[in-house]
Amino acid sequence: MTTGPAIATPPRHRAVELDERFGDPWDDRNPLGHAAVLDADERAELLSAGEAMLDDFGLGAEYVPSSLGGRLDCLDQLIEIMRTVFRRDPCLGLGHGTSTLIAAVNVWTGGRDAQRRAIADLLLANGKLACGYYELAHGNDLGRVALTALPHGDLLRLDGGKEVISNLERADAIVLFARTATVPGSRSHSQILVDRAALLASGGVAYLPRFGTAGMRGVQLGGVVLRGCDVSADSVLGVANRGLETALTSFQVTRVALPGMFLGILDTGLRTSVRYALSRVLYGRRVADLPLTRTVLAEAFADLLVCDCIITTVARALHLLPREASVTTAAAKFLVPRLLINAMNRLASLLGASFYLRRGEYAIFQKLLRDLPPASFGHLARVAAQMTMLPQLPQLSRRAWRAHEPAPAGAFTLDGPLPPLPFEKLALAAGGQDHLTGSLVAIDQALAVGAGAAGELADSDRHALRELTARFVSELGELGEACGALVHGELSTGASAESYELTARFSAVLGAACCAGVWWHNQDREPFLRDPAWLVAALGRLAARLGPPPPLPEDVAARLFAELAARHDTGHGFDLVNRPLPGWQRSASRQSNTAER
Amino acid sequence: MSDPAFERLLTELAAGVGPFAPAQIAELDRREAFPADACRALDEAGVSRCYVPVRYGGRLERFPELVTLWRAIARCDLTVAVAHGKTLLGAISVWIAGTPKQAARLGGEIAGGAVVSWGLTERGHGSDLLAGELSAVRTATGYRLDGEKWLINNATRGQLISILARTHPAGGPRGFSLLLVDKRRLAPGSYQCLDKELTHGIRGADISGIAFHGAEVPADALIGREGDGIQIVLEALQLTRTACVGLSLGAADHALRLAAGFATQHWLYGRRLDQLPHARRTLGQAATALLVAEAVAEVASRSIHALPGELSVSSAIAKALVPTLADELIGLLGELLGARAFLTGVYEHGAFAKLERDHRIVAIFDGSTVVNRNALINQFPGLARAARTSRCDEAGLTVAATLGAPLAEFDPKRLQLISASGCTVVQALPRAIAEAREHVESGAIPAEIGELAVQLGVAAAEVQAELAATSPSLRDVPAASFALAARYELCFAGAACLQLWLRNVGRATNAAGTTTAALWRDALWLEASLRFVVARLRLGAVGAASGDPVHDRIADALALHAWPAAFSLLPDPSRSASAT
Repeated sequence: MTTGPAIATPPRHRAVELDERFGDPWDDRNPLGHAAVLDADERAELLSAGEAMLDDFGLGAEYVPSSLGGRLDCLDQLIEIMRTVFRRDPCLGLGHGTSTLIAAVNVWTGGRDAQRRAIADLLLANGKLACGYYELAHGNDLGRVALTALPHGDLLRLDGGKEVISNLERADAIVLFARTATVPGSRSHSQILVDRAALLASGGVAYLPRFGTAGMRGVQLGGVVLRGCDVSADSVLGVANRGLETALTSFQVTRVALPGMFLGILDTGLRTSVRYALSRVLYGRRVADLPLTRTVLAEAFADLLVCDCIITTVARALHLLPREASVTTAAAKFLVPRLLINAMNRLASLLGASFYLRRGEYAIFQKLLRDLPPASFGHLARVAAQMTMLPQLPQLSRRAWRAHEPAPAGAFTLDGPLPPLPFEKLALAAGGQDHLTGSLVAIDQALAVGAGAAGELADSDRHALRELTARFVSELGELGEACGALVHGELSTGASAESYELTARFSAVLGAACCAGVWWHNQDREPFLRDPAWLVAALGRLAARLGPPPPLPEDVAARLFAELAARHDTGHGFDLVNRPLPGWQRSASRQSNTAER
Repeated sequence: MSDPAFERLLTELAAGVGPFAPAQIAELDRREAFPADACRALDEAGVSRCYVPVRYGGRLERFPELVTLWRAIARCDLTVAVAHGKTLLGAISVWIAGTPKQAARLGGEIAGGAVVSWGLTERGHGSDLLAGELSAVRTATGYRLDGEKWLINNATRGQLISILARTHPAGGPRGFSLLLVDKRRLAPGSYQCLDKELTHGIRGADISGIAFHGAEVPADALIGREGDGIQIVLEALQLTRTACVGLSLGAADHALRLAAGFATQHWLYGRRLDQLPHARRTLGQAATALLVAEAVAEVASRSIHALPGELSVSSAIAKALVPTLADELIGLLGELLGARAFLTGVYEHGAFAKLERDHRIVAIFDGSTVVNRNALINQFPGLARAARTSRCDEAGLTVAATLGAPLAEFDPKRLQLISASGCTVVQALPRAIAEAREHVESGAIPAEIGELAVQLGVAAAEVQAELAATSPSLRDVPAASFALAARYELCFAGAACLQLWLRNVGRATNAAGTTTAALWRDALWLEASLRFVVARLRLGAVGAASGDPVHDRIADALALHAWPAAFSLLPDPSRSASAT
């Protein structure tokens, strides 16, 4: 970067800076390249050179709010920075940082000032946290965790255990989710924030053997049995017995953030597939020249854009409409991991035998595929997200889905300024508020009459888009009817599969709102983002979740493929912000023959 | 071989420290070690002889039994099934085109424990066989081989390997020949086995290659005539692709057993997981997918005997659809298992994660899903023509769908590269629908099933109309044709279910065995399968993901099932023993 007036030349984006440090992924001599990442995976070790680099970058500061001296201002920025890591090595992303983030957000949300200060200082010095919620016997059912932390004299006595916890044995501090009152109900749990060394000193701590996994092999997953470990009573995070609330609100931040980071897997999976298609010759021509290949790649690109629209919008809306985040983040958690997994499976079939090999040019793909499932089942599974949405649907149907108030434009504006993350405003329920689908209705109406950005469109494009948006608006109407009629017994864990399905349908509509909003509110960006082609593809992918899949129009497929190939050749990210990735640019420039098409 | 005695043997081998014990299997996978003990146990049980036709001294008589056999092995471990079963693939060209002398000799070798491999693919060419570079040049005494085959199952372990070699420098459809190479008789230094490749799944299997450097083989290594190689391979693939779906069925059985077992042990929100409605739906949908896949496998494998001239179509359908359904149901059940599908040491030695990785190879090898759909697309004009004339081989169809019907000895001479009669199973749908409606009118089955059959017929007619409107293009096959091929596969699946029910209802309802009887009662499995197929035809796989209440009743049948037997609609697992 050259020096210049700060206003005229904005500082280089930290995601770009971080990508530069990772270097050329396909250079076998690069200690942070694919070859090194794959070797570490084979040894089930975290890439130590990667950890050192991230420490040097000061990744821990990205998790700390600016008000506490860190660099966390906008959630979408944090996601983009971590996506840079996940593009290279999801193990590094999860093992170096994400588990720290989940625990830290508990502290930002529920902790006392002194606890926040202490954890901020720890993270600013590259310290690590472990997040101890999970018990194998209880899975998503947080209310039934068996670990207890009950008063014992002036102290709290821990009894029970935790399993499958990242970095348990190397974290500086641990957040443990425990039952702290014996009465039944939702006010009987707390987070216990303990210094790991102090916990060990209390005696009665026995680590379990490390858990082996099919993916994320480098991440150290540990377990612990705690037998009568006494810790200081002020270890309770924030207010005692409000732990379930703290969990359910702070998870809103991380359950959109994590799938947004995992999106980096599809970015690299797609890039690997494009690389394969452009270089492999079958039946006398490049695989990329087969129409099916172009469609598969274009659809995977559309899936990636759908995911990013949802992630970016929901993350930004968390700043602007925090009260609605219980629903919006649950929809993101439900939909995005499934879209990512489906897209990667489809790409695997394109790669064929090349995906099945653990050595060679495309070997990174099978690792990424193995690393992906925790996006879906980890950090409370998709079905738990459905359970968060379901009881809220009747109220949404009576309020928001009748009022149709649109969200502020800032929820959709890429890179736009945001107020600080309002941890204190996150709520257990949205109270019937849902401005994102309000935006969908507004855009649908504008498309109908050719107002605003819709006025710039050719009539055929406008009609094609309107046809799609109208499908989702009409689905919202039908959802309103169905959800308004839900009886009480259909709103809890024992609800019928049909009721659960309503949350899936709602998620698809919310996803469409995010896509339409991103297109509508970024008409001042580059031509590709302004072009309705990607939106037609994106809405089509979501429409397939509600009814017969609309075929991808050939011109749209061609437009998407051309963009994909261009970004591959110039080393740009495939996500919405389309930023240059200096490390990937180096491999792109080394690969010679792909430019001509 | 698909008899209860063999099933019992497998159960014994899976106990304690037996070679199929889950802990052993997991450990071999971790070390990427070949499952030699398990393969030896199968050899000792005479399984290899099931790869040799009766007329050449073996026990291979009916291909549906081979499907059942591989399914049973794959249910224990897919890696073993792939590693052991390869010998059939290696030998099949000889059964099709070899001389009786060649075939008898090879039959003897296999009965004696020889491993035979099949060398088709080469580095950089994948499924594009006509791009193969390995050459066989005629010499005074036979052929001289140069070049390499790569990503070959058992290339290193096998004593024999059938090699597709370029025998005319210009290549082309008549430019290749098949040679049965006996590695033990090659001059030292004239060949070299390539390193084992590290793979995503089937980690213990010998996936390697072989390179020839002027290797001399005798003239009698030639299988069939010079120049016949591609034709023989394409015929052989019709058989192997059909048989390979047994691997998918076994993996699906295994996945279903693991998930159903977990769901009855795990409690969530104060209820047992299998009693939570959404989990019950998931289990029911996955089980239904397996029944549909089984119906396709059964009709397709019986078609090897009953409708051999249509095998170019039915094998492509089976190999495209069944592994796809299995991959999907594994994904669905994996989500139900959550962390237990990911952790390798917590539940059943990580068997689910292993089978998930292992099974992904089935949709790739022996012609990938795309390759098979492309093969089907190439036959669109013929399928459209046959649909127009409503051609049906009624006699063949009856045998293909009647479970106890005697199967004629398989005759390789009846194989055709292009089906002249289209696809009888699909073309006979209107008749089958009419029959189903008669059953409705007689009160034998609920009216909904008749309605579903009609919907299937409507969808099939639409698909057939689209086939007719598709202009053939061998080079620039549009993506829409692949989607159309996938829908044609579903039409076949629905039609296969209908035929199986119609031809066996009288016989099957009396079948013993709790699960199977429950599946046939009130035509439950037929209703569930048709709902599954029709929803997919209408909404696509993603849109149909929510399933239907009838799938909950399949889950109820699943809950009664006595594992480790397959969850199956086929009335009697030992039917092959009783049928003649």
